[in-house]
Amino acid sequence: MPDCITTDRISKTFGGVRAVREISLHVGEGEIYGFLGLNGAGKTTTIRMLLGMIRPTSGEAYLYGQKASPKNHDLWNRVGYLVEIPYSYPDLTVRENLEMIRRLRSISDPRCVDSIIERLRLGEYADRPARNLSLGNAQRLGLAKALIHNPEMLILDEPANGLDPEGIVEVREMLRELAAEKGVTIFISSHILGEISKFASRIGIIHEGRLLREVDTDKLESQMRRRLLLSTRDNPKAIPVLNRAGFAASALEGDLVAIDDGKAVMNPENIASLLVNAGCPPVMLRVDEEDLESYFLRVIGSSGGTRQ
Amino acid sequence: MNNLPAALWSESLKARRSKVFLVSILFFLFVGVMMGMLTFVAKHPEIAGRSATMGAKASALGKADWPNFFALLIQTILALGSLGYGIVTSWVFGREYSDRVIKDLLALPVPRSAIVAAKFIVVAAWSVILSLALFAAALITGWFVGLSGWSIELAQQAFLTYSVSALLTILLCTPVAFVASASRGYLLPIGFVILLLIITQLVGMALPGLMLYFPWAIPALYSGAAGSALPSPEPVGGIVLGLTSVLGYLATVAWWDHADQV
Repeated sequence: MPDCITTDRISKTFGGVRAVREISLHVGEGEIYGFLGLNGAGKTTTIRMLLGMIRPTSGEAYLYGQKASPKNHDLWNRVGYLVEIPYSYPDLTVRENLEMIRRLRSISDPRCVDSIIERLRLGEYADRPARNLSLGNAQRLGLAKALIHNPEMLILDEPANGLDPEGIVEVREMLRELAAEKGVTIFISSHILGEISKFASRIGIIHEGRLLREVDTDKLESQMRRRLLLSTRDNPKAIPVLNRAGFAASALEGDLVAIDDGKAVMNPENIASLLVNAGCPPVMLRVDEEDLESYFLRVIGSSGGTRQ
Repeated sequence: MNNLPAALWSESLKARRSKVFLVSILFFLFVGVMMGMLTFVAKHPEIAGRSATMGAKASALGKADWPNFFALLIQTILALGSLGYGIVTSWVFGREYSDRVIKDLLALPVPRSAIVAAKFIVVAAWSVILSLALFAAALITGWFVGLSGWSIELAQQAFLTYSVSALLTILLCTPVAFVASASRGYLLPIGFVILLLIITQLVGMALPGLMLYFPWAIPALYSGAAGSALPSPEPVGGIVLGLTSVLGYLATVAWWDHADQV
């Protein structure tokens, strides 16, 4: 699968602040790459470098093998984008905002405006000035501007912002369809792992300007931490019993005992027998799986960074 | 230039749809009408009554006839034009940043220089419309007031001087566009325009010899509004003004092409 997006150790420093530090990315054709990070992690700065809006302090970004530069005009025919909150010209209607993009993108068929209005369900608001749109509809208009020319690549910065749950599902399905059926390469940023993991094929986690980890979404589950949680009527007695049996058990708040051990997680019945035989039978026993947000916070926490 | 017509269409649509466009035209029309009314007061001093301020302003016009009225009109376009065209330029360039829509124009198959060129064309057209609105409003009000000393030759000569004054002032909008782009908004460039207006007045009053080298004072030299005792503007004034305009244009294009657009 040829790389459509490549960055070669790109960094960006703003007045002494290192917003992005030596990030190298490779995104293949038809791939949905989720770029995950907290606010201020460097997602938008990276996206702006991919779009040639800012110059890297060092390193280079390439799209389809061409340097991401404003001078490569033809390159931008292949790319649709949405950066941060998608503001539009407030005095112009939805239709006029799109007509403007149609002309600037030299799309000869004027029907594409109506078509994208229908696709993004903006028909009801087509003749309404953009200033009167709700945040969700402003986001839809932003997506319409990104999609109007049927691009081969989409670079989207938090496109789900402001959308209601139905809108989020709708956009997710649309992006999944574009990637699967039309081979559109999608680079999408988000700060919600739970959302992005539902449709991204690969996820890169960025924190404090550094790319900490890349993981294929289908392997994400194997990276989740699992542990056995239990409770007995006499936890201070149960913990030494477990420790002596070779299970690292620790007390948690709320009269709980946690065992971070793969053998215990795989065979909780053995733990139950052990405790029953020791005279402190469990009153509760369950396998607890780390959720996606906890995983994300653990990854960025283990980098030595702090949550912002 | 690639896609200039599309960029021009977009820029003109943005201008036409904005309230600033209509308000600016109404303001220039209003000033034109007020000039005529002031001339009417100069012709009929009894109307000013006991209002010393109004009487003083009206008497400053001198004799209420067409030659004086046209001279006043040319002075007005020099000052009001600098301010008005400057505000228009500040808005056309600065609103992209203030409305946070600039990013829509940055990764398109249209050279950014084409967008800048389209913006300057719209600024020029808008400024010409404002100038014509002022002239027409003043002319019509002057007719109603019944000023003396009218002749076609006088009107033609006045319109020619007025047009040259306006066009030279329009040419000086390019540095304002650069300030609007570099400051990412329209407040600072408007402040810059007001500052230039004050400096121009100071140069004209205190250092008239320097007017030839201060670009924003040169339209006054060309128009003759600065007085006949001052140096002839050619060719140095033309070079200074032209260079300022070209440098402002190139600096704006360079900013759009090369500066980080955060």
